[in-house]
Amino acid sequence: MKLVWLIPVVFGGLTGLMAQTTNTASGPWEQPAAALAEQIAGILGPGQARLTIRNLSTVPSGEISAIRRLLAQDLKAHGVLASGAESANSIRVTLSENLRERLWVAEVIEGNETRVAMVRVGPGAQQQAQAAGGITLRKQAVLTTGEAVLAALETAGDLVAVEPEEIVIYGHTAEGWRERKRVAIGQSRPLARDPRGVIFLATGGEGFEVYLAGMSCSGSYLSAQPTGDWSMRCRESDDPWPIAQASTPQAPAPANPAESSVSLKGFYNAARDYFTGVVTPSVDVDVPPFYSAAVIPRPASAVALLIGGIDGKVQLTEGGALKPVSGTRDWGSDFAVLNSGCGTGAQVLVSGSGEAASDSLRAFELPAQEAIPASAPLAMDGTVTALWTAPDGKSVFAVVRGAADQYEVDRVTTSCNE
Amino acid sequence: MLRQVVMSKYPTLATKTTTWRGWGTLCLMLVALALPAAARTRPHYGGTLRVEVEGDAWRKSGGLAWRLVFDGLTRMDADGVARAALAARWASENSDHRWQFWLRPGVHFSDGSVLTSSEVVTSLGAVCGTSCPWTAIHAVGSSVVFTGDSPMPNLPALLAGDEYLIALTESLSGTPPGAAAPPLPLGTGPFELMEFKNGVAILAANDSTWQGRPFVDKIEIVGHKSIREQWLDLSVGRADLVEIPAEQLRQAREQHLTVAVSPPVELLALAVADGGVLANPNLRAAIALAVDRGALSNVIFQKQGEITGSLLPSALTGYSFLFSADRDLNKARELRGGLTPPPLTLSTEGGAAMQLAAQRIALNLREAGFNVQVADPGRPQHTDLVLLRLTLASNQPRAGLESLLRAVGVATPVQGNDPAGLYKVEREFLDTHTLIPLLYLPRAWAASGRVRDLRLSPDGEPLLDDVSLEDAP
Repeated sequence: MKLVWLIPVVFGGLTGLMAQTTNTASGPWEQPAAALAEQIAGILGPGQARLTIRNLSTVPSGEISAIRRLLAQDLKAHGVLASGAESANSIRVTLSENLRERLWVAEVIEGNETRVAMVRVGPGAQQQAQAAGGITLRKQAVLTTGEAVLAALETAGDLVAVEPEEIVIYGHTAEGWRERKRVAIGQSRPLARDPRGVIFLATGGEGFEVYLAGMSCSGSYLSAQPTGDWSMRCRESDDPWPIAQASTPQAPAPANPAESSVSLKGFYNAARDYFTGVVTPSVDVDVPPFYSAAVIPRPASAVALLIGGIDGKVQLTEGGALKPVSGTRDWGSDFAVLNSGCGTGAQVLVSGSGEAASDSLRAFELPAQEAIPASAPLAMDGTVTALWTAPDGKSVFAVVRGAADQYEVDRVTTSCNE
Repeated sequence: MLRQVVMSKYPTLATKTTTWRGWGTLCLMLVALALPAAARTRPHYGGTLRVEVEGDAWRKSGGLAWRLVFDGLTRMDADGVARAALAARWASENSDHRWQFWLRPGVHFSDGSVLTSSEVVTSLGAVCGTSCPWTAIHAVGSSVVFTGDSPMPNLPALLAGDEYLIALTESLSGTPPGAAAPPLPLGTGPFELMEFKNGVAILAANDSTWQGRPFVDKIEIVGHKSIREQWLDLSVGRADLVEIPAEQLRQAREQHLTVAVSPPVELLALAVADGGVLANPNLRAAIALAVDRGALSNVIFQKQGEITGSLLPSALTGYSFLFSADRDLNKARELRGGLTPPPLTLSTEGGAAMQLAAQRIALNLREAGFNVQVADPGRPQHTDLVLLRLTLASNQPRAGLESLLRAVGVATPVQGNDPAGLYKVEREFLDTHTLIPLLYLPRAWAASGRVRDLRLSPDGEPLLDDVSLEDAP
């Protein structure tokens, strides 16, 4: 029974509750109490009224007396005295909420007439659970957008995001990334349902290369212009996609260590969104069709190719053989290598197998042919749809699709618990 | 039998139920464990999904097939917010009296013809005629302009509704001269209708759809299947997705079916005529007070409903408690004021549960001094009371309220998102007692082990264009 996912949820809920319970200062309630009291006084006018409060919301019961006190004070300031049961008029306040926010409702009852006042109260602060383990994973939101993001890259001080049909340049501002430029990719073929794309730094620095189904694009930064600008070109292409970037510390080319500075590339099936298994330069074994591949450093042979097959099997090409990797039953189809410097130095960050409403990332080490968990799962706020290693190799980027089809690009870093 | 239900990461929703029954199950499990462990993958393309429904497989409103073949200018996201679909963007002017929607470039109907603004105007004009939420519509270049005598603050959300899906009108114009049968309707959606015969709709994946080719190759929707037949077919592997009425949800869970359940999105309500004897508002108010919602919920709908006195569910507004849902027979009798109204007729459409609910309501009303007869189902006649099921089309309060009001013939645009304003609109309408909200019910579906990534739309329909099959190649 896999109830592990409950732990961060319950923990998060408890910490949220504790944070609210301990926050007995009336700070968060002052403004809504004042606003509601003003509306009530506007209906009732000066006089006496019986005040009752009921709580249908998640406001902790320990807060009710503080809210009552605030309301009584604010009503008094408007000439309404919260009195005892003998009063003819009554004010029935209900602390309620909906899916989005809290709502305080006052029913002001004068004889047979009931009038209603209500104020909106913002949602409570949400807490985030932190992962713990041999390695601690942390995430930081880099970009949030309503459009699907397939891949992104920080270069020349800008952020380049690849969307299914456009490449978007974001410039850095004090408020975060702001869209500066948007260029259509111009596919003539229809998109697939599960589109994918990759972006790499261009050889030699300030530029990038993008690969999408049936297309490739390149961008170069025109630093000679006073404000700097990007020039981008896209063309139809069935060229193989780089599987690992040459400039990352995990040097590719498992077939021949002498060629360790050459990127390994894989041919992509644009209609079905996976790599066909044909890679260049060729490796010594027949590689099956796969969704993800990563070059990982190995103690025995300088590097090996880790493959996440379309059949769900995870295998290593090492020493001229294709070897199954055990302990990967909970792996999803996306993984990326991270050179954390912790433990054996490099870990594989893997998305969850998708059996939970919220996906997760977890670090694994591969000392042999068994994947050993190296961190606790890091809960993501939605589904991980893409995962890749940053150019420096020390962090990983993840695209997370949230419940409302919002996309978030997160940078995931590690710290060693040593 | 081992039933493991996984509704996994692509796109989102996850539900897991694991059940064990008998030694045979254990043997199967051991065999499964002996196989090489494989991680879960991205969805595969291919295969045929088999769906069974009680209603018409090619039903327009709320029909599964209809939504797969046609797109709207907008669509509702999981949060009930209107998002771009055939329209890439839109803007309003003149205090929401004028809206302009710019079409997404490069969209084609499934026969290859280009979607144009004039085709959109023709399609929309054909569906609602004079009862449209707008006064006029016309094409301006690659955009469509709507103008209205009244403001249309919720137009982007309304255009996501089934009635405003865009079809190639040529394909809807009947049998051409010399042809044996009318052409199949054409849309821009992820599937293409290949055949509709004997109540079965066959849909094939549209390879060139602008949204990306769906995962499954084919969907077969069999209509007019009773719930019993559907469940039987699911159990023997003849169906992959079947319906679960709210009143049978508990039974489905007891049978360990894999279920996807929506939030409460179906409003069970009693429509009360405001003419004839019921022109007297006190009698309508008495009817509202006489209905025993608790009995309907507990007995007929097996506690799967949420009792309501308001149009919008409590989760959307937070103020639902202000509308009393309590039965008060004494007050009902008092409001009736000793009058003995002539016999009233109550009708309903739907299955056995709706008929039972109608009988129960008739009984409640007799206890309050009304003489109510339940009309024979399927026999059209004048009725004073109609038991309805209304679907909440959006989980945004304003758009949801407007869609409910439109469904009962009230075309008042709802403005503002302020809860106090929404409450006022609800209060003013419900105080007429021409519609009495009773229960909010969820919608539910059961899926076979082949189905993965099943999600439901805000109104509880399965989103089949994102579904894939475990055994796809």
